[in-house]
Amino acid sequence: MILSFLCRGIHFVWSLTMLMFRPLPWDYGVRNLLRRPGRSALTMLGLGTVVFLVFLVVAFVRGLEISLAVSGDPLVVLVHSLGAGENIENSTIPGQGAGVLSASLRRVETRYRQKYVSPELYLGSEVTTESVKEPAMGIVRGVTLTAPLVRSQFQLVEGVWPAAGEAIVGRLTAAKLGCDPAELVIGRTLRIEGRNWKISGRFAAAGAAFESEIWCQVDDLQQATKRQDLSLVAVAVSEPKGLADVSEFCKERVDLEWEATPELSYYASLQTHYGPVRRVAWLIVLLVSGAGAFAGLNTMYGAVVGRVRELAMLQTLGFSRRAIALSIVQEGVLLAATGSLLAAAVALPLLSGLAVRFTMGAFTLRLDSVSLIYGFSMGLAIGVLGSLPPAWRALRMPVVDGLKAI
Amino acid sequence: MSSKTLSGFIMIAFAALTAGCGQPAATPSPQATIPASVTGTANADLLLHEQPADAKPVAEVLKSVKDGVAVTILGRIGGARNPWVDGRAAFTIVDPKLDPCGADEGCPTPWDYCCSTDQLPDNRAMIKFVDAAGDTLEQDARQLLGVKELQTVVVKGKAKRDETGNLTVLASAVFVMPDTK
Repeated sequence: MILSFLCRGIHFVWSLTMLMFRPLPWDYGVRNLLRRPGRSALTMLGLGTVVFLVFLVVAFVRGLEISLAVSGDPLVVLVHSLGAGENIENSTIPGQGAGVLSASLRRVETRYRQKYVSPELYLGSEVTTESVKEPAMGIVRGVTLTAPLVRSQFQLVEGVWPAAGEAIVGRLTAAKLGCDPAELVIGRTLRIEGRNWKISGRFAAAGAAFESEIWCQVDDLQQATKRQDLSLVAVAVSEPKGLADVSEFCKERVDLEWEATPELSYYASLQTHYGPVRRVAWLIVLLVSGAGAFAGLNTMYGAVVGRVRELAMLQTLGFSRRAIALSIVQEGVLLAATGSLLAAAVALPLLSGLAVRFTMGAFTLRLDSVSLIYGFSMGLAIGVLGSLPPAWRALRMPVVDGLKAI
Repeated sequence: MSSKTLSGFIMIAFAALTAGCGQPAATPSPQATIPASVTGTANADLLLHEQPADAKPVAEVLKSVKDGVAVTILGRIGGARNPWVDGRAAFTIVDPKLDPCGADEGCPTPWDYCCSTDQLPDNRAMIKFVDAAGDTLEQDARQLLGVKELQTVVVKGKAKRDETGNLTVLASAVFVMPDTK
């Protein structure tokens, strides 16, 4: 349906153009491109490279945004120590925090008398794999069996839930640690906090931020780190009013010095935190596109300069200057569109799903419909903008001068 | 392949890729919304027009008052970066003797008293407006009472103390002092 609509639109615009003036045949511009295959191919490759880079940066920004957007559950609230909302790994609350919250709160999601309250110890720690002795920074989360209840995106895709001395690794943990995924298969051993942990399983989380973490039993991690406290307690509530219940409880129990942050707000604040990164990424898109526009401009200028007599001859045959300019723009747009398609053909298998490490963990590049629209729009814009100045030049040159040109 | 077929193929492939790829991205809003009917209005039943004469500052009430006793407490809204319970008629107040962070210190949230956090536990109380069943009113205090951070209020209500000494005032009415600035 979209394709049909697009074709009708193009036909309508073309018909409208025909009413205003007689354009050069569509085939003329296409044949012109094929008359100079070397130059056309090089221009197309240049434009394709530019669009590929645009795809890369947009996929990075989209991956980061979507990773943080899907990480928050609207019915989950994180309880942490006062003022640690933006740096939750520095939060510390007493070990019995989960029990206090379970006993005090109404509207906590419950199934078979099991309350959805997850005590968690969350820390960044050095992780060493079996083959690579150089430790890498990883994110480790000590959890209980209630964690998968609260984190509804969690899926144990391979192996079993960790017993004492065991850990499970996320789908993107290898990217976060910068190691070969073969290092993290079931049965291999990790060294964290001076102890060996056998990998008992692998989990996925629909692209959420904790997909790059290592999970183990919370009491095990407490022993390893010689800590008795928790970092946070994640509470899943049964209805939106429950979020305010948790916030009210934390404010009322001043002595506990706890604070409640809805998980959505927490990840929204991280989005804000990474705002400068996104702005720099968009600046890169602009710079790369600008460079691409100049490359296109250069080529199209070359094409026009080499065809001055031909363009003048077209005018003597009765084609208006606007028709000739339109044909030049058509050539530029066709080159850019082909280059964009080539870039997409290379980028889709190469970039989509590629894991990228960042401070909070790792995420995958997202070459989704939005990224494709950005890339293609940029490609077409480069095609049009790169052709307009040469087209303008063609419009300005007197016919007699053009016919005499060597 | 003719040039017309070639260009047609390019256009079709371009349109198909643009229209057909990717997954929908859900970006749920993290903010709860407040009904427009409530915005900007203050509940007349809860607002006092004259300042009660017997008001005591937060620290004094914290030292002396027992559970279930009627109190009139004086304080300034604050004590945390977000002193409100979003969507509810509840907030925290701080004894007026504590000064919020000065403007010259560049603190974006002076009502969190970050310059005197060590004194907060002995100078902070929770205020909440409750219905007949004892549940906190499901309207944001900022909209219900027209109050804002660092505003001085006098609250009439009943004290609720727990075993750890925390004070919550189950409020029935409030007098909001006009801004001096």
